[in-house]
Amino acid sequence: MSTTEQPSLARRLPPALRTALSPGVLLAGLIVLAALAMTLLPGAIATHDPYTGIAADRLLAPNATYLFGTDHLGRDLFSRVVHGAFLSLASAGTAVLVGVIVGALLGLISGFVGGTLDFIVMRFIDVLIAVPSILLALIVVATLGFGPWSVALGVGLGAAGSFARIMRSQVVRVRNAEYVEAARTLGVRWPGILFSHILPNAGRPVIALAALELGTAILAVSALSFLGFGAQPPEPEWGALVSGGRDYVATAWWLSILPGVVVLAVVLAVNRLARLIGGDR
Amino acid sequence: MAPSPRDRLGTVVRYLGPKLVQFAFVIWATYTVTFLLIHFLPGDPVLAALSLKGGDATTTDPAELAALRAQYGLDGSLWQQYIGHFLSALRGDLGVSIATGQPVADMVARALPNTAAVAVLALVLGVVTAVVITFLAFVSPWRWLRQTLLQIPPLGVATPAFLSGLVLVSVFSFGLGWFPSSGSRNPLGVVLPAITLALPVGAIFFQVFSAAVLEAMAGPYVFTAVAKGLSTRTIFLRHVLRNSLLPSVTILGLLIGYLAGGTAVVETVFSRDGIGRITVDAVLARDTNVIQGVVIVVALVYSVVNLLVDLSYGVIDPRTRPALGGRRTGTGRAGSPQADSPQAGATSVDAARDKAVIES
Amino acid sequence: MTTTDSGAALLRVTDLQIDYDTRSGLTHAVRGVDFTVAPGAIVAVVGESGSGKSTISQALVRRLPDGGRIVSGTIEFAGRDLTALPERALRRIRGAEIGFVPQDPSNSLNPLMKVGEQIAESLRLHRGLGRAEAATAAVRILDEVGIPDASSRAGQYPHELSGGMRQRVLIGVAWSCSPRLVIADEPTSALDVTVQRHVLDRLETLAREQGTAVILVTHDLAIAADRADHILVMQAGRIVEQGTPADVLGTPSHPYTRELVAAAPGLTSGRLAPRPATATEDPAAAAARASITLAFRASAAATSAADILVVDGLTKTYTLRQPAGGPQTLTAVDNVSFAVPRGSTFSVVGESGSGKTTTARIAARIVAPDAGRISFDGRDISTVAGEELRQLRRRIQVVYQNPFGSLDPTMSVERLVSEPLRAFRIGNRAQRAGTVRELLAAVRLDPALVDRRPSQLSGGQRQRVAIARALALGPELLVLDEPVSALDVSVQEQILQLLVDLQVEFGLSYLFISHDLGVIRQVSDRVAVMRTGRIIEQGEAAAVLSAPAEEYTRELVASIPGRRRS
Repeated sequence: MSTTEQPSLARRLPPALRTALSPGVLLAGLIVLAALAMTLLPGAIATHDPYTGIAADRLLAPNATYLFGTDHLGRDLFSRVVHGAFLSLASAGTAVLVGVIVGALLGLISGFVGGTLDFIVMRFIDVLIAVPSILLALIVVATLGFGPWSVALGVGLGAAGSFARIMRSQVVRVRNAEYVEAARTLGVRWPGILFSHILPNAGRPVIALAALELGTAILAVSALSFLGFGAQPPEPEWGALVSGGRDYVATAWWLSILPGVVVLAVVLAVNRLARLIGGDR
Repeated sequence: MAPSPRDRLGTVVRYLGPKLVQFAFVIWATYTVTFLLIHFLPGDPVLAALSLKGGDATTTDPAELAALRAQYGLDGSLWQQYIGHFLSALRGDLGVSIATGQPVADMVARALPNTAAVAVLALVLGVVTAVVITFLAFVSPWRWLRQTLLQIPPLGVATPAFLSGLVLVSVFSFGLGWFPSSGSRNPLGVVLPAITLALPVGAIFFQVFSAAVLEAMAGPYVFTAVAKGLSTRTIFLRHVLRNSLLPSVTILGLLIGYLAGGTAVVETVFSRDGIGRITVDAVLARDTNVIQGVVIVVALVYSVVNLLVDLSYGVIDPRTRPALGGRRTGTGRAGSPQADSPQAGATSVDAARDKAVIES
Repeated sequence: MTTTDSGAALLRVTDLQIDYDTRSGLTHAVRGVDFTVAPGAIVAVVGESGSGKSTISQALVRRLPDGGRIVSGTIEFAGRDLTALPERALRRIRGAEIGFVPQDPSNSLNPLMKVGEQIAESLRLHRGLGRAEAATAAVRILDEVGIPDASSRAGQYPHELSGGMRQRVLIGVAWSCSPRLVIADEPTSALDVTVQRHVLDRLETLAREQGTAVILVTHDLAIAADRADHILVMQAGRIVEQGTPADVLGTPSHPYTRELVAAAPGLTSGRLAPRPATATEDPAAAAARASITLAFRASAAATSAADILVVDGLTKTYTLRQPAGGPQTLTAVDNVSFAVPRGSTFSVVGESGSGKTTTARIAARIVAPDAGRISFDGRDISTVAGEELRQLRRRIQVVYQNPFGSLDPTMSVERLVSEPLRAFRIGNRAQRAGTVRELLAAVRLDPALVDRRPSQLSGGQRQRVAIARALALGPELLVLDEPVSALDVSVQEQILQLLVDLQVEFGLSYLFISHDLGVIRQVSDRVAVMRTGRIIEQGEAAAVLSAPAEEYTRELVASIPGRRRS
């Protein structure tokens, strides 16, 4: 075989580590950590009380005291954004969890059992995917009432369709793989095949998709709260903040734009890390 | 040995039949699921909607309520409502809106062109930009250009529509005054909403399209084409493009369906009438007739698009076409995993769909 | 190191060095290669995977894959240095003066373009023909390469043609503009052996008629010996030997060449002799192995039947569903009967579509037959199911063709080999670990590899793991489905030798499936030849292979490359 020369120092690192240390990924990692910090310890990061405002300080541009400026009630926007992180991110996380659990379970059963059950479940999934997800979420919210958790459930059910499809196609692929047939000839029974072969091999693409869907879920959740279906005022969910600032776009643009930029940054970072998990460069 | 007209008809029926059945099924099933979801609300839909509309002035007189129910088609047992609504919908009568009092079909018919105008423009802008960027990124010999261009789509996917819409409004309406910031009358009013939508649409299309192009370019037949001495441009246009169409057409179908759902956010930001807007209003007002009507119409659009996409596979990829005359295809090597059988073609279509779902 | 006589060489390669620069590091694929090709000569470049032969063929058309680049050296073609030419000039040469026949017939033709068009494209580009003219010329070329009914085939798509026909189309594409040199990169390795012979015949005829020089890249030394005027043997990026076939095969000077000649199944004749390692092993390892072998021998001695496997009248049909057409019935196995004597190797040989793999799968009770009986060790097992079938698995095991596909990529070697032990709850953890080590030693695999994943092993190593796994339960019959087809020639020989040794050490019987008659010759005691689901001929291996009774068998034997020389 042809020989491989010793590469330079940077090249000598295993490829995975080298990608992990690239500037884009490092930045993305920092943003995600910051978002997590805001979600778990809002009190430690916020500078003011997000719910009470000083009337005299209304509609101030970003300055040293009020990092993101103030809104029409004199509340510090930065603190509201920090406290809103939990509402937006936790509900997006819940949505993905719902999607994965419902979808992956359906896909697993459907792909593993096959036959008529597979056919029926897949028709049901077709319908789930046919209804545009925002419509589906709206219907769920209409049924269950407004609030971040209904939104999470609605978005989650919408995502469940994609997860079910992916999981099923992976399960079918693995089930038909030669090593599964080999395992059967070695005397392994179906429960053993399920746990030792199917789940480890089918699971990875699904997890990669879950990471990608987190970004989509954050966008969907904030869009729905922008439209007024999420947490009700005075809760500072990010989409609601953008919506609240709409009337002041011409004069106090920071009220809408800054929370929007925060959403953008977090979604970009999450997507970048998701691609890393998925094996992209 | 030529297939007779009866054979041809038989093949066409066997090919189209399942697809048409699927089409009808999805519409019916969507209607049913929506109906079930809505009518398992706690409380009485009529009362809830009326009280939201009328506030304290809502009547509670049973006789009047019964009359109102009949007017809105919400009387009778659940089963009667289910069948009744479905049959009227087939005739084109989608009921009356509780909140506005207008026929739902009229409301939808008014809103659809607005949504369609923005959607079509957004689709065209997004797809054209994506194709141009792909062409430049892969055909150009400069690596820096390719790297820069490839950074744009993740941005497009990650930007929330409300942010880009508001930024565009600030800059181009309030700032420069080129385009109107709201309203549906002014034809120029289509531009900013379309650009806002073109961003995610184009980005998603780009991801699928460029992945398909990459995969096609790595294919051995591209090497054969190079070895024939063809230029890069010819190879891209005649060999690569057609082979990347399958997943691209699939994602196009999905995107059209998504746009048909009405992009409530964009319509809200730009204060335009459209499907998204009336859906949002209907949900806020618990206006069940409108919700049902919109869902049926959107499912219809989505299913038609899906059917067209399915049929286009047959045009694009000869491997998925039904074989007339039952000509036997040859097989390759012993034990070789790639089959030359027609089954390979069918599964590749599903694979294209699945891949599109992953990338969307 | 230059070779052929006539002064004006068509192609002269001087000190060519090619590197690959990828994420995993820098690889020297070709390390200084010199050779010439005279006009009209057929030169074969022979080597195994990683030798650099394909890299050279791609470098000659200046289209290396991503990360590849020519570091130094010159490629002189008809007076011009190809390494120095700009892309535009190269495009005029590609197709018009240098043709290329690529390797993979299933993917090397554009699946969405009609076959005739793919040839016409080249003619329009380089010969300036109009559409109609080019189309007619394309049909003529299809006829020349031996495609029957050329005018209607020209309007078909690649998936409607068989592998052999597709390869002929690719040859047609390469020869369409009557180039002076054609590079054929493994043009027949994906084809059945009879088809291979005809395709190579056609290629040779075209070359001789038109005076085209050919560079034939192949891993099969026997093919090179049959067809080429001149052979270059490559190893690890260097030419280790070159000369005429008589020189290279008759008096090889380099040790690697000698190894290749010895290992090439088409060139050697007899059956491999078992070399049980007990004689040369150290006592501790021998004792460890004896403990397994005793278990095997014990069970083997306890049973009585002379034939371990008897199949009678097996039949299996399949119904294929087209995307929209009616169903099509395919008779894969048609009334097949044979018997495998205990302790011997019974081989089934046939080309693709012959039904040999299906027969093996039925015999191993992976697939149920539509009709017929199977007896194992005197007992009828045709209808055994459920737990009884599972227990039967301990006595019949399977080794698959694709060593990567049959091993779960997420499992370590330890887990893979111990899986059957865990499935039947044999022993505790420590005992299983010990058995795994003994099994790895039995297949001559380094026990340090126990924690590796399949992707970290070579093809030969993976196949040894598969064999070790199959032995774990102490089976009596092994069904081996093309166990060496996916391996390099030198590795093939090692695995075959291993199988022959194990048969004696463990008292195993083999049902051996293969398309490669050369391989069959090396391991079989009895042979059955299958074609389109039926057994055409069966009998003692030596008899069938040296004096075949049936016409088809004679054709198969005649198609083994290397016949002209051996």
